[in-house]
Amino acid sequence: MVSASKVEGEYSLLRKNSPLDQPEGVKTHLYCFSVEHGNDNLKSFVCSEQCGPSLLDTILLSQWDNFAWKGHLDYDVTACQLKVIEGGRNFVGQLNSKWNSFSPKEYDKFFESFRCLKPNSMKSYEGLLLCIAQGEKDRPEVAPSASPPKDGLLLIANEYPVEYGHIFLVPTAVNQLSCYWDKRMFGLATKIASEVNNAAFRVFFDSGTSVMSDRMFFQACYFANPLPVESASTVAVHDGKARSDIIVSETVDYPLKALVFTSNNLKALVNVVSEICFSLHDNTAAYSLLISNNGTKVFLFPQVKNLVAGCSLPAWECGGYFVYHTRSEFDNASETEISNRMASASLQDGAFEDLKHLCCAIADDLIK
Amino acid sequence: MATSGAAEVDPGDRERQQHDRRRLASSLTARYSDWVLEALDELPGSFLLTDPSLAGHPIVYASRGLAALTGYPRREVLGRNARVFQGTATDRAAVAGVREAVRAQRAHQVAILNYRRDGSPHWVLLHLAPVFQARDGSLLHFLAVQVPIDAARRRAGAGRGAPGAVLAACREEARVDEDFPCASHAGKVFVDMDKRGLEAEEPCVASDSEKEKATNTANSIVSALNRYSKLTSLVVSGKRCDSVGIPALSSSLNLSVGRIKQSFVLTHSCLPDMPIIYASDAFVSLTGYSREEILGCNCRVLNGPGTSLEVFEEINQHICSEQACTVDLLSYRKDGSSFRDLLHVSPIRDASGKVAFHIWVHLDVGAKHDFNGLTPEVWQLGAVGAVRVAVRGLSASGSLLRPSQ
Repeated sequence: MVSASKVEGEYSLLRKNSPLDQPEGVKTHLYCFSVEHGNDNLKSFVCSEQCGPSLLDTILLSQWDNFAWKGHLDYDVTACQLKVIEGGRNFVGQLNSKWNSFSPKEYDKFFESFRCLKPNSMKSYEGLLLCIAQGEKDRPEVAPSASPPKDGLLLIANEYPVEYGHIFLVPTAVNQLSCYWDKRMFGLATKIASEVNNAAFRVFFDSGTSVMSDRMFFQACYFANPLPVESASTVAVHDGKARSDIIVSETVDYPLKALVFTSNNLKALVNVVSEICFSLHDNTAAYSLLISNNGTKVFLFPQVKNLVAGCSLPAWECGGYFVYHTRSEFDNASETEISNRMASASLQDGAFEDLKHLCCAIADDLIK
Repeated sequence: MATSGAAEVDPGDRERQQHDRRRLASSLTARYSDWVLEALDELPGSFLLTDPSLAGHPIVYASRGLAALTGYPRREVLGRNARVFQGTATDRAAVAGVREAVRAQRAHQVAILNYRRDGSPHWVLLHLAPVFQARDGSLLHFLAVQVPIDAARRRAGAGRGAPGAVLAACREEARVDEDFPCASHAGKVFVDMDKRGLEAEEPCVASDSEKEKATNTANSIVSALNRYSKLTSLVVSGKRCDSVGIPALSSSLNLSVGRIKQSFVLTHSCLPDMPIIYASDAFVSLTGYSREEILGCNCRVLNGPGTSLEVFEEINQHICSEQACTVDLLSYRKDGSSFRDLLHVSPIRDASGKVAFHIWVHLDVGAKHDFNGLTPEVWQLGAVGAVRVAVRGLSASGSLLRPSQ
């Protein structure tokens, strides 16, 4: 990958933001994407096998490992045993007695601390690993110590990692209106997946409920092996390859119904998926997203709405990766039990057909 | 084995002696450059090299320090078997251990009671290391370093010296006809254990610093041999580079760690002495060792004079407690040049959650790098993270995680 040129001191983007809504005094590592040149994402994808790890990948892994090494995490997730659960689907189980799934309220409290990034209000700052924003130069740029620009994503280490490198991706400007779904942030998250350019890196999104409707954030971590859903067979329901570079498929024989959007054209992918998410939000539907394959593939898992948490399953569980708190749960994990859990969260046939048609219509629409 | 009375030897004997001397000298010069002897002479410490391919497994080099420690001038030990230093009270078990190490062609460290030329006994820590030809793994020499063990800590009582000297003198007679005829001398011992005295002295324990001193002296000698072997395009290393003994990384792991740009090696945590099982391209170009040379070696191979023992001990402690550490160290390239080495060592766990490897990331502090705004210490961790992710997906057997049956 290209190496970025270093920017000394303040980053130029700051000047565009008015001083009032700019968090003051907070400095972090800032990574700015190079300016978009049409369809150059394909190129970086092709490069992935021969080239070394990308700059963003290296920075992210460095920062995360450093954070873990300094003892800020509650546990070493790589010391947690993994196993492939017997059966044909290769679901993965992890034994982790310390993992703590945030309840929505805890999420709220957590993000409250990042809501207004002021130097004095934020004591525990080590968790902020990096800020990523769109840049204006021809090459990606790295500023070692810059104030996060308003339109960036903050990468914050999750102290209860589900897997190695678990981070939250939180928009810098969390106060702005209508942030339940921000297409620009989704675009940024997808671009991060593309620029990290590591097949192990996955980005997740779980749609919010009433409790967290004002909070849009993504999560990401590194899974060494393919997730079961990524190996599931699919059948195309809309092939827009000729016109829009987008293929929409659905999974076959996977206990949780899912739609898969595939494209090497990142912009088109973001447009289509974003449009669908808008409409799902309008209907207050519950769903999860999984961005994989270096940002060229997005899995959409529509779910039966759970009154408390919105989504019944977090995105990694939709993908086939489960954390067990006790040894007996871990030892007794069975494919049947998991399949039943997934099936109970899966959309009814009729509702899924409707969603499928909606997706095809949107994909068709955006081509014109 | 007549070493005195040279005045009366007939011309034939003299010729044979000269021939022997040339043969001994060529054991080194044929494999290393002519300057290797001078280079070895300049190294501190008491050590010798033996050639297992010659009849009787003779000493082919003795350091200056050896004469000071043992009282034997160089000319009196060259051509003789190293058992010349053993005597009546030398412990049988210790000798058996040495013999076994020679037979197995592996490194060995043991505290052993040796005898000086005047017959007085003294405890030394004997560090034995085989020297292999890197290309085909064939055995070239044995290196034996002798580090005197601090007399104050010895538990043995006084009055041992005198009877020892007498018995040693008797034993000299008994040894004369012991030269084995030939075939595989490698398996032959430095000492003849059957004639060891039964009243072995109280075992003496070497301190950690003495052990490390022995190891470091050995490493600096191997690295000197390395340096001088290059001139005759022949390479040696302290450990046999035996691809059979080193488990190959699975191809998927090889592929994923192969992309990583930093200079690092992986060592196998479950094998004895934690051999290197993977070396990155950047490591090969940083140190000058080829992959063939370095695989199977311990990470100490980069040590040399001035490498801090305390720091290495610190690394060991972190390894034992399964923790990561970053240290500042003086390391040596194959060509003998040194560099300030920012070294990060971290345990790497597989899917079972157990430590499978250790990663050693080396960074030449003096070289120009672009760390993209990170500190060098943090930049190194990028490699660690990438390896963690790759190894996390592997089962304990090294293959990709599969359902257990």
